[in-house]
Amino acid sequence: MTEVRLNRLTKIYAGGKPAVDAISLDIPTGQFVSLLGPSGCGKTTTLKMLAGFEDVTSGDITFDGQDVVRVPAEDRDIGMVFQNYALFPHMTVHQNLAFGLEMRKIARPEIQRRVQATLEMVQLDHLADRYPAQLSGGQQQRVAIGRALTIEPRILLLDEPLANLDAKLREEMRVFIRDLQKRVGITTIYVTHDQAEAMTMSDIVVVMFDGHIAQAGAPRDIYETPKTAKVAGFVGQVNLIEAHVDPDHPGHAATPFGPVPVTAPGVGETVTLALRPEAIDIAPAGAPGTPATIERVQYSGAIVDYTLRFADGTAMEVKTIPRHPFAIGDAVSLSVDLARFRQLEREY
Amino acid sequence: MTQRKTFLLLLPAGVLLVVFLAIPYVSVFISAFRVPGQGTPYGDGYTLANFTRILGDWFYLGQAVNTMLIGAVTTLATLVIGLPVAFQLARPDLKLRGLFYGIVLSPLLVGIVIRSYGWTILLGNNGVINRTLRGWGWIDGPLPLMYNTLGIVIALTHVFLPFMILPIMAAVQGIDPSVASAARSLGARRPTVIRRVLLPLAMPGIQSGCILVFVLALSSYVTPALIGGLRVKTTAVTVVDAMIDTFQWPFGAALALTLSVLGGASVLIFARLTRMKWK
Repeated sequence: MTEVRLNRLTKIYAGGKPAVDAISLDIPTGQFVSLLGPSGCGKTTTLKMLAGFEDVTSGDITFDGQDVVRVPAEDRDIGMVFQNYALFPHMTVHQNLAFGLEMRKIARPEIQRRVQATLEMVQLDHLADRYPAQLSGGQQQRVAIGRALTIEPRILLLDEPLANLDAKLREEMRVFIRDLQKRVGITTIYVTHDQAEAMTMSDIVVVMFDGHIAQAGAPRDIYETPKTAKVAGFVGQVNLIEAHVDPDHPGHAATPFGPVPVTAPGVGETVTLALRPEAIDIAPAGAPGTPATIERVQYSGAIVDYTLRFADGTAMEVKTIPRHPFAIGDAVSLSVDLARFRQLEREY
Repeated sequence: MTQRKTFLLLLPAGVLLVVFLAIPYVSVFISAFRVPGQGTPYGDGYTLANFTRILGDWFYLGQAVNTMLIGAVTTLATLVIGLPVAFQLARPDLKLRGLFYGIVLSPLLVGIVIRSYGWTILLGNNGVINRTLRGWGWIDGPLPLMYNTLGIVIALTHVFLPFMILPIMAAVQGIDPSVASAARSLGARRPTVIRRVLLPLAMPGIQSGCILVFVLALSSYVTPALIGGLRVKTTAVTVVDAMIDTFQWPFGAALALTLSVLGGASVLIFARLTRMKWK
């Protein structure tokens, strides 16, 4: 098992601004870590540097304290799963799985045994003699994961492995990959731009923007206590409220829901507060709370999304189970536990 | 558009194929069984005599075998030279791509007669190569490079190189680069990546390149005629001799048909041996 550490890792392509800008990250043994961010944020470049496919401009990568920056990809002992699977089309499933073991000059019977074990692990023993072109997308995906794991690598890297699958299969594969990772106990780094994937699968989510780590932490921490508006917005829907510090309540910001305790700024300054749409309760007009009008209703069965507007013109998103059949134009009353507000850091 | 109307769209191509391909083939096939005439292309009636003459005479069969050997060696030579070139040209980071394409295609940009005479200047007993080697004192007498099989193979290799390089290049360009990365991450070094992954995946291109060059070399006329001269004749040269010099159209047709059957059979066997199960 392997602990991975990135220290001020940087990648600058010729004549450009840094694609990855001095990021530092500790990944404890056996953890499932997602690098989450929009395209161009540097997550894939980071993964390629970890795999050894991309030269490091500066900084260190260590596996269990051992510097691997100058170790070529073929000697890094890494299992890599590519977005398009990158299976060997001219080899059967069995041959694909055996390839990495043959490279390690392992004896035939031992290769047979380990390939068989992997086939069972990824539930493909009935397809061992098929060629990749004869498999479905989900099956190809399982071959790719199996091929990466047969060599019993130090770490497992996955580059948007579910991007090419349809929605239903994607959810199945999320569970499959997570279960497998837990069973094998391998340190895993998973690149994705899909926040739902990152949140549901990971021990640690690392949110990246513009070559920097914006925030790293457990999925729950990232979602409930985002540091910036960008992070808050990337991992889910959020209401951002620009509030003035309330002259009547020092240390509090004035919001439509009442004064919310904030840190630092003096009277008259503004702070940005985040409020998740599901933190707000919606009730018929007359109930205790702040009056608002419904502007839009998006009903999707289990939940319903409302867009509302306060008398002062502020808009608010509310997500709730469909308890009342509210319609557009209805007057309602909104209430919220003030502890659900999060004060965000300023972004410069 | 209905099924029947879309069929009409095939009509121009269909007519073209029938007029310029099917009819000439059938006509060659029929000619091969005709009786030679006196002062006319054909006499009356049909015969197998043209074929018994070819199959009963080692001169013609030996010549056909030699022609196929020239084809095979030319194919091998273009493969050995073309394979590394094709791999380099397929690199996505290649600079001056247009220039290199031009160089690869250059043998096809020069007229076939001019190109063949160019080779006689180089390969002749008093040609550039022999004079240079003698000037350096490396050889006493001239190396026999012209009027033999070697000269024909050299000249054919030059012309047909693009037909080997281009299909292989296309096949290599079609390989997903992450497949090579995957092989590396599994522990394969560069030579192993090439041998176990890239070469097998380039096989469709190698196969078509080999078939193209072999068929072209088998049927080539101008280069063997000019470089081989009177001493080495390929079947194609003998066919033209029979048609034009001695006016034996039925015999020429039978000879051409024999070569087509031998060549076609070789191509089928080759395709069968190099069949790719994963395709």
